[in-house]
Amino acid sequence: MAEANESNKERLVTSLRNIFLAFFKIGTFSFGGVYSMIAFFERELVERRKWITHDEFIESFAIGQMTPGPPIVNTGICIGYKLHRLPGVMVATLGQAFTGTVLAIILAAFYLQAKDNPLLQSVMKGVAAAVVGLLGSIIYKMAKKLITGYKSAALAVGAFGALAVFKLNPIGIILAAGVLGLILNWRR
Amino acid sequence: MEILKLAAILFVINGLTIGGGYAMVPLLQKELVENHHWLTNKEFIDAIAISQVTPGPLTVMNAFMGFKVGGLTGAIVAMVASYLPSIIIVTLVTRHYLQYKESWIVKGSFDGIKPAVVGLLAAVLIFLGRSSLTSVPLGAFAAVSFGLISFTRIDPTFIIIGSGILGAFLF
Repeated sequence: MAEANESNKERLVTSLRNIFLAFFKIGTFSFGGVYSMIAFFERELVERRKWITHDEFIESFAIGQMTPGPPIVNTGICIGYKLHRLPGVMVATLGQAFTGTVLAIILAAFYLQAKDNPLLQSVMKGVAAAVVGLLGSIIYKMAKKLITGYKSAALAVGAFGALAVFKLNPIGIILAAGVLGLILNWRR
Repeated sequence: MEILKLAAILFVINGLTIGGGYAMVPLLQKELVENHHWLTNKEFIDAIAISQVTPGPLTVMNAFMGFKVGGLTGAIVAMVASYLPSIIIVTLVTRHYLQYKESWIVKGSFDGIKPAVVGLLAAVLIFLGRSSLTSVPLGAFAAVSFGLISFTRIDPTFIIIGSGILGAFLF
């Protein structure tokens, strides 16, 4: 572990400016789901620029998956850290978020102005229905991967009931599920 | 100070949710729509749609919500508050990856949280569906979108844009 840290410290493969530009490109041209973004990361950082190895990328992706918060953002932060420590984290995050954030602010301003426009309302009716379908599909895919036995099924059903029926606070439900997970794992 | 309250809420939610960008949706809906009434359910869904059609991570929906609560400052504060937990946690985990990976606390609590997130999302889907699927054609739209995203490789971005275009003619 100490050795790995040492070698990382020695190996500043590129400048902060280049890290910002690479993540700016990733954040600007990657649309859609997790997998298209991950493929884009790999192509840009491993294959084209050769800043990190394939194994380092896989490890970064794993860290992104197993830390709280959005996995793609976390993968980027992890790679930024490997490339240039904390300053690398800052420029990678800024680069990755920049375009999406600016566009979201512009669209939000436009949307809030034009909210009562009948055409926009028609458009957003269709869009909202599609988003409900999208959320359903995300639940379906997550459930297929995560609900593997009666314990996980019980946790999912319990959390569903706690929110849908008893209207408990989801933050509390998440904390309770974490504690329950610890207890169930302990017994094993 | 609504903006600071929003920042605190986003910080906690981002620091707590495991299992993908969408894992945050139930917590955001509860806090921003039901507890603080900063957005309606409809605006909340539209924020998800906007973040889906803009490039980059889903988290940019927090910029939309921040903008609604506090204008440009609100949007920037919301983004910083959303990214801060990730920056702190991931930096620490990257330095201590092996210990973290083998930690029974991490493993155990994640085993509990991940399936719970599925249940929470399903509950929120009911709330959101109730406010946006107000007619049979809209229900059919949702069903088709579900089918296409679940069983084909079409990028959800195109389905959302396509639904908007169709919506302009149909509704």
